[in-house]
Amino acid sequence: MTAEPFTPDPALPGGHQETPPVAGDASAPDAVAPVDKSVDDAFWAGMPEAPKDKEVTLLRSLLFGREIAIVEKLRSNYEDARHNAKKVGGVLSEAILLRSKNDDSLNTALEPVVDEILQSSLQKRKADFVNVLYPLMGPTIRKSIAESFRSMMADFGKSMEMAFSWKGLRWRLEGLRTGKSFSEIVLLRTLDYRVEQAFFIHSETGLVLSNLVHEGVGAQDADMVSAMLTAIQDFVKDCFTGGGDYNLETLQMGEFTIHIEHSQMAYLACVVRGIPPTDFHKKLRETLEMLLIEYSDELSAFTGDNAPFTGATRLLETCMLAHYVQEETKPHPFWSKCLPLFIALCIGAGGGTAYYAHVKNLRAHRQAVAVLRAEPGLMIVHVQENNGLFDRSPWEVIAFRDELAHPPEQILSEKGLDPSLFTFKLVPFVSHDRSIILRRAEQSFSLPETVRMRLDTNGVLIFEGTAPAAWIARTREAALLLPGVKQVDMRDLRDPLSEEITRRVKLVESAVIEFPVGGDLPIASDQAEFARVIDTLVELEELAKKMSIAVSLTIYGHADPPGSPRRNYEISQSRARTVASMLYARGSSMPISIYGMGAAHPREDRAEGKEPEKTPQTAAPRDDQASRRIEFRIHLSSPPAFDAERVLFQ
Amino acid sequence: MINKKICMLGAFSVGKTSLVSQFVHSVFSDKYLSTVGVKISKKEVVVSGTEVTLLLWDMEGKDVYVDINSSYLRGAMGFFVVADGSRKETLAIALELRELAFNILGVRVPTRLLINKADATEEWEITQEALEDLREKNIEFFCTSAKNGQNVNIAFESLAEEMLREQNSAK
Repeated sequence: MTAEPFTPDPALPGGHQETPPVAGDASAPDAVAPVDKSVDDAFWAGMPEAPKDKEVTLLRSLLFGREIAIVEKLRSNYEDARHNAKKVGGVLSEAILLRSKNDDSLNTALEPVVDEILQSSLQKRKADFVNVLYPLMGPTIRKSIAESFRSMMADFGKSMEMAFSWKGLRWRLEGLRTGKSFSEIVLLRTLDYRVEQAFFIHSETGLVLSNLVHEGVGAQDADMVSAMLTAIQDFVKDCFTGGGDYNLETLQMGEFTIHIEHSQMAYLACVVRGIPPTDFHKKLRETLEMLLIEYSDELSAFTGDNAPFTGATRLLETCMLAHYVQEETKPHPFWSKCLPLFIALCIGAGGGTAYYAHVKNLRAHRQAVAVLRAEPGLMIVHVQENNGLFDRSPWEVIAFRDELAHPPEQILSEKGLDPSLFTFKLVPFVSHDRSIILRRAEQSFSLPETVRMRLDTNGVLIFEGTAPAAWIARTREAALLLPGVKQVDMRDLRDPLSEEITRRVKLVESAVIEFPVGGDLPIASDQAEFARVIDTLVELEELAKKMSIAVSLTIYGHADPPGSPRRNYEISQSRARTVASMLYARGSSMPISIYGMGAAHPREDRAEGKEPEKTPQTAAPRDDQASRRIEFRIHLSSPPAFDAERVLFQ
Repeated sequence: MINKKICMLGAFSVGKTSLVSQFVHSVFSDKYLSTVGVKISKKEVVVSGTEVTLLLWDMEGKDVYVDINSSYLRGAMGFFVVADGSRKETLAIALELRELAFNILGVRVPTRLLINKADATEEWEITQEALEDLREKNIEFFCTSAKNGQNVNIAFESLAEEMLREQNSAK
């Protein structure tokens, strides 16, 4: 046997070059059949034992050297975990795909593992998850909230518009007339059409595969509606088409239409309120076709479980169309939008100004009326206001007015108020207002400055101070005649001049100036008194002149009884004349009467205070000196004084 | 959710509608029966822990049994044939309808025979022998009463259970 030189085949798997075992190489058998315990024993159990004989071994290596190398290579690959991992890694994704197509056992197998991994990962790295999710969730949540809010505001805006517009009002009336609810009318008038329900129905069984209902639409049980819809279609088909290949496409009932799109496996039914566009059926067809493509397997295998069709709602959504009546959207210039606002503002401002002016005017009027009402002697009986906001005519005031009350125009002017706000109709009357009574009294009495006058609450007119007696007397009478005066009190009213006069009158009249026998000048002891009497008389005359009282003086001259009556008469007259001359010498101008009384009135009569003329002449004089005298009597043109106790008149 | 279409078949006046009424409360008026020819009711039952919705197609009974409305039967996943125990001929009709339905459907779907008016057995014309005969033919039947509800629920649940079993074995 000749051995051909062995050339390694470059096409060997892996292009691995290895020195082949050479004949006679003792190490070769070991290399061929190593027994590795780590390899499955069972695997080697079925293998033939490696020949022990050297020749056989050589022969074997000559015959199968290449194959042995290949097997060796394969074995090493088989045992090499890294190599295995690499191989599996290369086909892992395809394997998973294949397996998951066949059944869901892979899911079942992986589910607990994945669950556990997720759980433990979540537990350990909560913060990481939050960090990862936050940028995703944040905007999503915000967007969702913003969308809800926007939708809410849009609905709110529409509601407001409906509620407060003329149109809204008209629809409310229509609602009242037809007995429909406002929302129904709004829907009717604003809705072109709206798909309210969509059903994806299994044709054969009439069972619902998937369905959608518009929010807020009260719907019957989808399963039953679907079944009944199927039954009705069958019924119509049987009755009117003789079972031919026709299908019911639309069902109409009032404002509702059911649009149906058929196929062998399933059909699509949409309940539409209003009239949808003409291409709505096309839309349905497209949707149905997509559903059929997506769910063809599930439809073929349908046995009543609609769980595989839950995703169909996504496609049904595309059928849930709605279209609302568009308002005429003629492009309005910007100013046209602003104009109503501007007008409203103008009206508002004008109205505001007018109203402000009205309020101000009203306030001025009311203030003026209040002032007038407070005025004594003016009694307002009626105030006729004008017609308000835009009426600027003056108010008419009807009032009773005492002639002593100030004119209303003057009252207002003095208070800085505008008298032209009013026209006055005044009726004269006599006011018993206290201030008016006082004013009336002042006017009637030409009150001296020294007199204070007041009226108490009981209508008593009280005078205080000093005044000429004549004035007092005159006023006393007149005051009681004044309207509103019930009593006059003059107890605190004095006439100082009258008192002076009275005092002087008393002083003069009580004086007795004695004369010596046969003399017509007072005796020396009476000279001082005589001078005093003369002074007093001069003063009295001056006072009386001040008070416009006419004063006249009578001087009685007396003589003592001894002597002839003629002589006595002469001497008595001479005595009186002397005194009168002395008065005149002092400047007196009052009328003086002198009487020579002779000895007809001895002194004692005077002492008893009796009138000299009436003195009985029977009584004998006790002292002749006392009888040689003069006496004075003063006459005033009006009473010089009054009795204070008698001043209170009723 | 698993939904099953079930049809009620049977001769005129055997009590199909009454049986359905006993089982469910329908939202549709009975007048559908005489107008459209079918009335649909719904009942949810729990069978072996699985919720099943039964949609019961109650069909107008006909004297002439062959006039069965194949359209309505289409897609039924199970059905009841109903007979009146007091009227012997209704059992024959029921059995014929049963076969007819199998033919129309093309498969032998789960079905139950309900012999109604079990509350008045003394009036029955269907004899014990006839019932024995049914057993021999492996026709599952229940003697029911729409009046007192006897066996009604059991019958419906039994059918639902079998339908569910069929569905699961088909997978």
